[in-house]
Amino acid sequence: MSRPSLSAARIDDADPAEILWLGEERCADPACSGGKAASLSRLAASRRVPHGFVVALAGPSLDRGLRRAVAAAYRRLGAVAGVADPPVAVRSSAIDEDGAGASFAGQHDTYLGVSGVDQVWWAIARCASSFAGDRALAYRRRAGLAAPPGRAAVLVQLLVPADASGVVFSANPVTGARDEIVVNAAFGLGESVVSGTVTPDAIVVGRHDLAVRDHAVADKRAMTVAVPGGGTREVPVPGCLRTRPAVDAAQARAAARLAADLERETGGPVDIEVAWVGSDLFLLQCRPITTLPTPRSTP
Amino acid sequence: MTVPTMLAPGAAIPQPPDFRVYFESGEDRLLWDRDRTHHPAQLTTLEGEFVAHFAAHGMGHAFERYVVPVAGVRARAIHGYLYTAFEPLQGSPEEVARHAERGEAAVLTTVGRLQTAWEDEWLPEILEHLAAMEAADPRRAPSTVGLVDILEGYWEHMERLWELHFEIVFPAYVAVSEFADLYRDLFGGEAFDAYRLLQGTPTRTFEVGCDLWRLSRLALRSPGVADVLATHAAADVPAALEAVPAGREVLTQLDRHLAAFGHRTASWGLATPSFIEDPTPVLKMLRDYVTQPDSASPGIELERQVRERDAAVAEARGRLVGYPTPVVEQFEALLEAAQTGLLLTEDHGFYIDAYAVSLVRDLLSEMGERLVADGVLDDREDVLMLRYDDLRVAALDLPGTDPRTLVEQRRATLAEHAGVTPPPVLGTMPAGPPPPSPLLGMAMKFSGSPAPSGDPDRVSGAAGSAGRVTGVARVVHSLAEAAALAPGEVLVAETTAPPWTPLFAIAAAVVTDTGGILSHSAVVAREYGIPAVVGAGDATAAIRDGDLVEVDGDAGIVRIVR
Repeated sequence: MSRPSLSAARIDDADPAEILWLGEERCADPACSGGKAASLSRLAASRRVPHGFVVALAGPSLDRGLRRAVAAAYRRLGAVAGVADPPVAVRSSAIDEDGAGASFAGQHDTYLGVSGVDQVWWAIARCASSFAGDRALAYRRRAGLAAPPGRAAVLVQLLVPADASGVVFSANPVTGARDEIVVNAAFGLGESVVSGTVTPDAIVVGRHDLAVRDHAVADKRAMTVAVPGGGTREVPVPGCLRTRPAVDAAQARAAARLAADLERETGGPVDIEVAWVGSDLFLLQCRPITTLPTPRSTP
Repeated sequence: MTVPTMLAPGAAIPQPPDFRVYFESGEDRLLWDRDRTHHPAQLTTLEGEFVAHFAAHGMGHAFERYVVPVAGVRARAIHGYLYTAFEPLQGSPEEVARHAERGEAAVLTTVGRLQTAWEDEWLPEILEHLAAMEAADPRRAPSTVGLVDILEGYWEHMERLWELHFEIVFPAYVAVSEFADLYRDLFGGEAFDAYRLLQGTPTRTFEVGCDLWRLSRLALRSPGVADVLATHAAADVPAALEAVPAGREVLTQLDRHLAAFGHRTASWGLATPSFIEDPTPVLKMLRDYVTQPDSASPGIELERQVRERDAAVAEARGRLVGYPTPVVEQFEALLEAAQTGLLLTEDHGFYIDAYAVSLVRDLLSEMGERLVADGVLDDREDVLMLRYDDLRVAALDLPGTDPRTLVEQRRATLAEHAGVTPPPVLGTMPAGPPPPSPLLGMAMKFSGSPAPSGDPDRVSGAAGSAGRVTGVARVVHSLAEAAALAPGEVLVAETTAPPWTPLFAIAAAVVTDTGGILSHSAVVAREYGIPAVVGAGDATAAIRDGDLVEVDGDAGIVRIVR
């Protein structure tokens, strides 16, 4: 089966002012599109990042002109995906977010499997209002980022119909060991892995030889699946698949290689979110690791 | 498996005073489980030796083939009742667990290629053995001693056929069982929902019913033939048909039907005549079919099932949109395997349990007749009271041997235990639970575990096939007794063997003492779309012939209305 293209690198037309496409130069400016989207936009040229656009907002209020621009951008995503109302992921991308000092992971709302112009618009509005939400404000206070930003950005990307999703750390986040890359993987969309409702498989890959050193297969009880028509839900993993590896060694190594490359490019350890669809690997997010323990010196 | 719950692990199971068993050394340390599903009635000496030998041999082969975590299998007919025991695997829990894992992989590999294995390997080999057995025609053997050669050849064919039997049924039932588990995990729902996706594949047994149905339509076209069938007892039908116009054609068609499908007996075993020897059960079914309207055609029922299946499969696929590919692929692979598996749970029996066994039965009948003619035995059925080795000795008519005395002794010993209730288990309680194995999970669904209800007007068992119906109970202990079943009545039996299948076309519901959701009775009831309660323990004792009963196939309960 030929899959519709999901990669962002080929879109470079000019757009209405408030809409910035991933891969565009202006989109790579964190001051316009927020840290998460800017980082993805930079990577979209060379990596397999799902197509998408950023809605750059002056504040939490949205106007009708912007709605028309979003509708046009969403239709264009549909044309790229080859379906009329493609399911998308709608995420906040705060302007100070994903700086090297704070991860902001999960502090703003995320909507997966959103389908149709009205639903997309609704999700963007919810994300925009979440910038002033309690969780985000508390996080900003703890991270020493006193005031909420005047500007906000919302990232809209084609949803990757993931067979498995995962998080990859280019260093061992537990021991701090820099010669190990740790891949966490579970079935379905990434929500269950990111939110921690499922214990993922843990694969330790050597940084230099990319050999799988350990593949701890977990009892994966739940998975997130896209609901046709919009949204996602968490469902039990059938018994016969629960203790089957979510990804094989080749898939894990591909993800580890991607994390190692991104660490080289960005100059420091990264944690990335990825999705596997068959033999394809998509990059969903890339952040610097903000809290890496100092590796214990071996006697 | 019904095990007295009050006994501690490792405790010796007390023997009832009317059922004393002398075990060989070490055999008393095993748990012996009675197989009431296949052999509810007392077996003759030869039959008991026959089923025990081939069951143990075939299962032993399949256990090795699929790395089942048991050390061996034994089977014995004790006072004419079949018991089987598994020798536990010795080793540390880790070793046993590793063994179980390899076994799971082995059986699942075959589950993944059931159709290919059946079409390219198993069925061709089965047909070769059957052809070889038929080619060694016992009726043409020049002497009784020549029959012994054929008997020994048959024994070799049967050993391989029973190896194939278990090599086929294990993965076939595992496929169905694993699919049912996957379906429940994915969608929840009622116990039968998964089986709707598997129905509608015509089995060989179903073809038998269809063929007989066509014969019934042919009979209906001639008023004279229809009149004979309506007014004569089944046994008198052939002679009466000779006398009416068009009767000859029906008889010719009946002979053709028997030649194609008559190599079956009414039960698992050797003691009942095949339908070629005695077509009375077939004629009885033909009579019942003649009373049915065209709309009751099994073909129409099959079409309904196919429509229902296709809709259920489409609905399940719709619910899987958005699921990860590994889940969807697993669903599709197990669906295909289970559809084939369910077919094989029936069709293997057509060729092995029925056809091959009826060939052995033919050989033994021939041998019986020759031994009577030789003056060695008084009745041809007496061969069934001899053991395999006795039979060879009898055929050689060696001096100093007395088969007649052996027959008398065996008959007397069996008669002593004819009226007893054989205990469900014998020997010793196992020290611990069995190791995890997909085959053991499947076995539970096959044999079920009856639980007494405690209420005299209520018999509870396992849900076997959906639906609720009220009707007059016909309690039968053999296919011959089942001749009394009238259309719309509830068939109550200890178990039903494949040749009973056409009865499902006229019964309103089925209730059995033995079996689980995967048992023959449940599978066929779902095929015919009638309610079934299986594994009901003592239904044939609790329900009296003629009782008005309400069968609730969803709840697995029978209410006796009287």
